[in-house]
Amino acid sequence: MENALRKKAKELLESGEVKVVIGYGWNRAKTRATPVFITKPEEADRLVFNPLCVNNLSVYLTRKFKDIAALGRPAIVAKGCDIRNIVVLITEAQLKRENVYIIGMTCSGVVYRQELWKGELKPEIMPTKCGNCDVRNPHAADAVIGAKSTFVPPDAPAGMVFNKIKEIDSKTQSERWGFWIKEFSRCVKCYACRQVCSLCYCERCITEKNMPQWIETSAHPRGNLSWNLTRAMHLVGRCTFCGECERACPVNIPLNLLNQKMIMVVKDSFDFKSGYDEKTHPPMIVFSPDDKEEFIK
Amino acid sequence: MADKYLKKEALEKLIAAVSSSGGCFIAPTTDARQVVFKSVEKAADITHDYVLARNSYKEFVFPQTEVVATFAVRQHGIGLTGKEVAPKETVIFGARPCEAASLSSLRAVFTWDFIDEFYTKREDRTIVMTVACTTGDEACFCTTVGLSPESTAGSDVYLKETADNGYLVQAISEKGKAFVEKYAAVFEEQAGAKTKKLFMPEKIKGIDLAKITGRLKNTGHYDEPVWAELTRKCIGCGACTYVCPTCHCFDMVDEGTAYEGERRKNWDSCQYDSFTLHASGHNPRDTQFKRWRNRFMCKFSIYPDKFASKGCVGCGRCVRVCPVRLDITEVMEELSK
Repeated sequence: MENALRKKAKELLESGEVKVVIGYGWNRAKTRATPVFITKPEEADRLVFNPLCVNNLSVYLTRKFKDIAALGRPAIVAKGCDIRNIVVLITEAQLKRENVYIIGMTCSGVVYRQELWKGELKPEIMPTKCGNCDVRNPHAADAVIGAKSTFVPPDAPAGMVFNKIKEIDSKTQSERWGFWIKEFSRCVKCYACRQVCSLCYCERCITEKNMPQWIETSAHPRGNLSWNLTRAMHLVGRCTFCGECERACPVNIPLNLLNQKMIMVVKDSFDFKSGYDEKTHPPMIVFSPDDKEEFIK
Repeated sequence: MADKYLKKEALEKLIAAVSSSGGCFIAPTTDARQVVFKSVEKAADITHDYVLARNSYKEFVFPQTEVVATFAVRQHGIGLTGKEVAPKETVIFGARPCEAASLSSLRAVFTWDFIDEFYTKREDRTIVMTVACTTGDEACFCTTVGLSPESTAGSDVYLKETADNGYLVQAISEKGKAFVEKYAAVFEEQAGAKTKKLFMPEKIKGIDLAKITGRLKNTGHYDEPVWAELTRKCIGCGACTYVCPTCHCFDMVDEGTAYEGERRKNWDSCQYDSFTLHASGHNPRDTQFKRWRNRFMCKFSIYPDKFASKGCVGCGRCVRVCPVRLDITEVMEELSK
């Protein structure tokens, strides 16, 4: 699989079809996968693909990364789940489909966090998304690398995140409030959740709008609550549950619970799941004359 | 002062004694599936099996958010009331020798051209009880920056774990000696207990600090492609600066209503694009790799140039926390060439 990937990358760079391949490589000790930017065909052998390739590299396609855009047309190594984010970027006019070459990787799952890797991929070290994945065969790629996956996701989504959501839903409103206030109390306002997210692509985030200061920058309960809820609400109908925000959070706030809950609400209310089809716009940004709510007509 | 001995069970008594004299006892404890420095009330809450706490203990001397003044708009003018800081005795138990060396780095900045009493008064009341490392991981690189588990710089009290489940206690600073005397009832005389073997991270051969500092001196390196090549993967989250024991940048903000509110001193990070954004719209560090270069410069050029203390203590927290695994030692190695 890696050989096919390297061959493809080499071809693309040699022909000049792309100027950079955004993919995964090893760190010095070969213990962790880390993003790499391959600009020369002879460096294509640095590319790797394995269950440690957790990063959603689509973040590098956003306009925050002007220096990467300046390299020229990119090819991106992407798992199906990462492609869902690329599709949302295209839907939201952040990216033109023809301006990126997607090297889709068939995938059998990744580890939740790289430090959990002990040489074998077991369900208990995988994120909930992998056990329910319906895009192990990449859905919108220019080339697909790897043998076709025969994995069929369960009919009813299952796993840690779903169990935890059920548990929280069964609590009273004040208990749920208490749960989230406690979780948010650890927030250090580093905004890693925002930076790692390819769908948080605003060049000027609301946290940086300080005339007036919409979101207090202090890491106190009020500031933490307003930041975390604003982040969540800005992703309604857009978030693909890639899990990068929770993985990047240095204080382990369970953002996946919040994101998945929103996804479930959007699914129930609008029968919509983001990141599958670039032509369908997310429900929060479309107006339909046959909207089921009276007030909007 | 002769070495003392502290039984693990005696930590209970030490916590009680510190608390009853009005102090606060901070130790590594497990919270939300992580080992973190936090205030503990009983010895059972202390985690002993850890490499380093996720957070640096700097937040107890330099809080992430702190009110420095309150203000109110009155009929005639504005009333500004400064806040006095009156810290309690704060004992940091279980610091590692690498991070113990960081307080002098923070102090250097906070007393450089202005004495920041919000910092100095807290630090004056802080006792650092270091426990030398018997375990480590691949992110540890203290030996590469001239420290080791045996370094006592910055520790007030230096402890080594013993085979019989206790600690060999050395009071290092004057503050540490006074602390051991104050709580003398908790400590015992040393009776030849065997100390455990310390974990010594292997020194990274390709790194030469003097070469790095030398190379950074000439700002010609600004235009070298090495920065973009090695660090363009940085996503600018700032998590490294928040866990770093020597990063110290802060921002002053006014919060409240239009008529009254608080002036707060909040942590800031050089990794944010707004950090150097000018009112004109110009940003001298307009891409992420330039911001990353700045943090590296701060550690290995600006610090060694201005202060005697270390800019980087090799704790490896930035490596562990980085969502894109940007390893500072890989850049150090490249810059040593």
